Amino acid sequence: MRRLGLAALAALAVVALALYPLEGTGYGVRVMLQLFMWIALAQSWNLISGLTGYVSFGHVAFYGMGAYSTAIVIVRLGWPWLPAALLGGAMAMVLALVIGWPCLRLKGPYFAIAMLGLNEVLRVAASYFEGLTGGGLGLSLPTLHASVPIYYAMGLTAAGVTLLTYVILTSRFGLRLMTIREDEVAAEAMGIDTHRYKLYAFLLSAVAPGIVGGLSARDQGYIEPISVFPLLMTITMIVMVLFGGKGTIWGPVLGAVLLFTFQELVWARFIYLHQLLFGAIIVTVVLLMPRGILGVLQQKYNLPRTI
Amino acid sequence: MNPFITPVMLGQVIISGLLAGSLYAMVALGLGLIFGVMRVLNIAHGPLLMLGAYVTFWLFSTVGLNPYLSLLVSMPLLYLLGMLLQRFLVRRVVDAPELSSLLLTFGVSIALVNVAQLAFTSDLRAVEYLTGSFVLGPFAFSKSRVIACAIAIAITVSAFLFLQKTRLGKAIRAVSQSREVAQVCGINVGRIHMIAFGLASALAAAGGSLVAVMVAIQPEMGQVYTFKSFLVIVLGGAGNYPGALLGGLLLGLIEQVSSLFLTTQVNEAVAYILLVLVLLVRPTGLLGGRAS
Amino acid sequence: MTIKPWRLPATLAVAAVLCGALPALAQTPIKIGASLSLTGTYAKLGSYQKEGYELCAEDLNKKGGLLGRKVEFAVYDDQSTPATGVRLYEKLITEDKVDAVMGPYSSPITEAVANVTEKYKKVMVSPLAATTSIFKKGRKYIFMVISPAEVYLEGLIDTAAKRGLKTVAIINEDTLFTKSAAIGTAELARKQGMQVVFQEAYPKGHTDFSALLTKIKAVNPDVIAAATYFDDAVAITRQMKELNVNPKMLGVTVGGDLPEFYDLLKQNAEYIYGATQWEGALPYPGQREFLEGYKRKFNREPVYHSASGYAGCLIYAEGVKRAGTLDADKVREQLLKLEIKTAFGEYKVDQDGFQTAHKMVILQWQDGKKVTVWPDELASGKARFPTPAWNQR
Repeated sequence: MRRLGLAALAALAVVALALYPLEGTGYGVRVMLQLFMWIALAQSWNLISGLTGYVSFGHVAFYGMGAYSTAIVIVRLGWPWLPAALLGGAMAMVLALVIGWPCLRLKGPYFAIAMLGLNEVLRVAASYFEGLTGGGLGLSLPTLHASVPIYYAMGLTAAGVTLLTYVILTSRFGLRLMTIREDEVAAEAMGIDTHRYKLYAFLLSAVAPGIVGGLSARDQGYIEPISVFPLLMTITMIVMVLFGGKGTIWGPVLGAVLLFTFQELVWARFIYLHQLLFGAIIVTVVLLMPRGILGVLQQKYNLPRTI
Repeated sequence: MNPFITPVMLGQVIISGLLAGSLYAMVALGLGLIFGVMRVLNIAHGPLLMLGAYVTFWLFSTVGLNPYLSLLVSMPLLYLLGMLLQRFLVRRVVDAPELSSLLLTFGVSIALVNVAQLAFTSDLRAVEYLTGSFVLGPFAFSKSRVIACAIAIAITVSAFLFLQKTRLGKAIRAVSQSREVAQVCGINVGRIHMIAFGLASALAAAGGSLVAVMVAIQPEMGQVYTFKSFLVIVLGGAGNYPGALLGGLLLGLIEQVSSLFLTTQVNEAVAYILLVLVLLVRPTGLLGGRAS
Repeated sequence: MTIKPWRLPATLAVAAVLCGALPALAQTPIKIGASLSLTGTYAKLGSYQKEGYELCAEDLNKKGGLLGRKVEFAVYDDQSTPATGVRLYEKLITEDKVDAVMGPYSSPITEAVANVTEKYKKVMVSPLAATTSIFKKGRKYIFMVISPAEVYLEGLIDTAAKRGLKTVAIINEDTLFTKSAAIGTAELARKQGMQVVFQEAYPKGHTDFSALLTKIKAVNPDVIAAATYFDDAVAITRQMKELNVNPKMLGVTVGGDLPEFYDLLKQNAEYIYGATQWEGALPYPGQREFLEGYKRKFNREPVYHSASGYAGCLIYAEGVKRAGTLDADKVREQLLKLEIKTAFGEYKVDQDGFQTAHKMVILQWQDGKKVTVWPDELASGKARFPTPAWNQR
């Protein structure tokens, strides 16, 4: 009975979101679109770092890779935006393969530093290969007003990566990943090919950021190296996941919704203090509820692991 | 469109690289100390350096204190601040997975930057104390950078001697080698952590005070030093304190020489690519450090 | 609660008097929306622009407002990021339903938000977007006020060529505005028969220019043209002294015109050329009124970002006045035809809204003061040339 109720509620939410662009203002659609983007990003980070414990401290690199791949094929080859964004996802996956294969052998903080470095390298590359990327001039996409279709594309991406998380969490694959997180040496002793599974998770976690990077590039119409590889964006995804509850299915969604709403409503009123507020939020979350909202609820009410 | 590179040019950039590198070494030694002792990567290290720079600027512009003497103020002040940060915040995440400490120190870092913006505004400040350079044949040695280099080396060497020779220094090294064994030997680990964080912050403050004379001061000047310090401690070998010196000088050289032969745009990337390669080939750093 | 009968006529009388005396207040005000960079990288310059907008609204209201209505600004902070700017212009237009918009600060943000303002057919006068490409994409409703990035250093190159200098080295921060300025400067130099002997970009936030300057020293150019924002202009000047790089002329784009440039560098700023869109000393109509108004309101000297924001808003108001309505297409028509001289100088645009009349000036620091040295018709003094060694300044 309870399951049915939840399902009905979810269906209602989906219908409401699907119909929203008919009623919403241009601003409303854009805000929702960015919220979907954050859900997709947070959920993706959760896939690699929430499940395996490997801290991807440069996850925005995949977003930037997607943004640039998409923008390049739109500007230089005249692709339509949807296949271009999908290509962005594919390119992000290729990047994940190239850097994940060697770097996932690194442990703990060294993996975090390497990921941070790779993001910087990509940013420099985007400035340097200016024949392709426009360098510091950035890439200006032809004018196109497609906020509503992009809204749906973002929404589907966010839903897709959430579904993917559900599938993984309820599968043997997910169990293996969490074994790696709890004790990698033991996992290896049990005969799990840890490197291979980490790499799979890493590849999957790169796709959605690549796609939403491409979609945002299309929506904004202009990208430049410094605006698509910001460290702050990685941190924001991490805080969202941590806030909601890492390693869970709905935690990243919850974290993204709460933090993004907070940002939209509150920070605009405290412009000279918002970094301080964000810093305080981060410190509070880390110190007082490292398991996140869902983690706390899970423990308290003995909720299922696959929440 | 590079000009033909002559030995004089190469010599000049090597000089610049070593001058910058000695400063990186001192600052990174602080970051490495915290990492070695408690396995925490302190993202707020750069912003602490920024605070040091503001202390120097403030003392210079209000009471006209010689910027080099202001180290005597900025280092103790930041030592205290570092101890407090450790006591009230970082202590709680020392044993947590690295994600907690990365995030916590990032939160502290943006809060510090914001506080500096509120206190000093985002306007550029400068300590206009020493400009120009000593000229030796075809080479120019920037006065402020030469003095900064000398002071940085003196401080770095004293820090090494402190770690090697004194009881407290030995205790710190003992904790960074094995916390459990140190505890069994009667070392108060919590106190050592606080001292290490304080020392590290003081080293950052020294860097800030020296940098204040060289470049313009603004609230966001610090972050870049956090990243440079990451590079240094990985290149030199985390937990290997003399490695920081080698790593610092190496980073200074890589930056300058790659700017000379390639372009200024790529120097950050060159350093990071090298970092990843070093990590992959020798995860313990060039001089070898502690494996994780 | 009942209204006492004697009160009603009295209230009406008072209301009538108020309405008669202040017609501008009788109607709902005209709300002009903008997002500006109040925090982040461009915080300082964005705040200057905001001051220009505020002063303009005040001046308009003093003269009875616009179309008989009061003018009000609604300003948000875009944190110096294009993505936030885009969201905020959507908010201003679709939620706050502002009557008009004005441009944000910086080229990248203007490039991004112009897509929004075009979508809703809103006229946007952009007082601080200097990159040509923004205006050459077939957009209909965007108007440029300042001279384009490409001609920032025209005066430096022109003066150098007249003096018979032959070689120039060009360096720039690798972002939209500065890179466009560098490309334009190189083109101008070639046109004047000068040789571009060195050209290189450096990343935003770069602080150590030793290797770059060592290379420049080796090619020993007559002129160094640096397309900078502010902090890099200061760092480059200091390190040129340290490495004893001493070209016959050194010019920077943004930064050299700010009073802080001299505060930070003191005598080392002497002889350096700065490019600016405007100076308080220039003989433009309405200049005195602007300077006095600004000093009264903000208690210091204005810089060109404020002047341009102020003038851009006045230009928009003039377009509205001539159109007699806020209707975008009619205002656009007027703004395309408009030729006007404000406190900021001349305004005239081509069919794309691209600025063609406004003049850049080149100034030089002399004894701690900015002296306008180019173009000749606006010059307030002669350039000091040649430049002595660093230790003799």
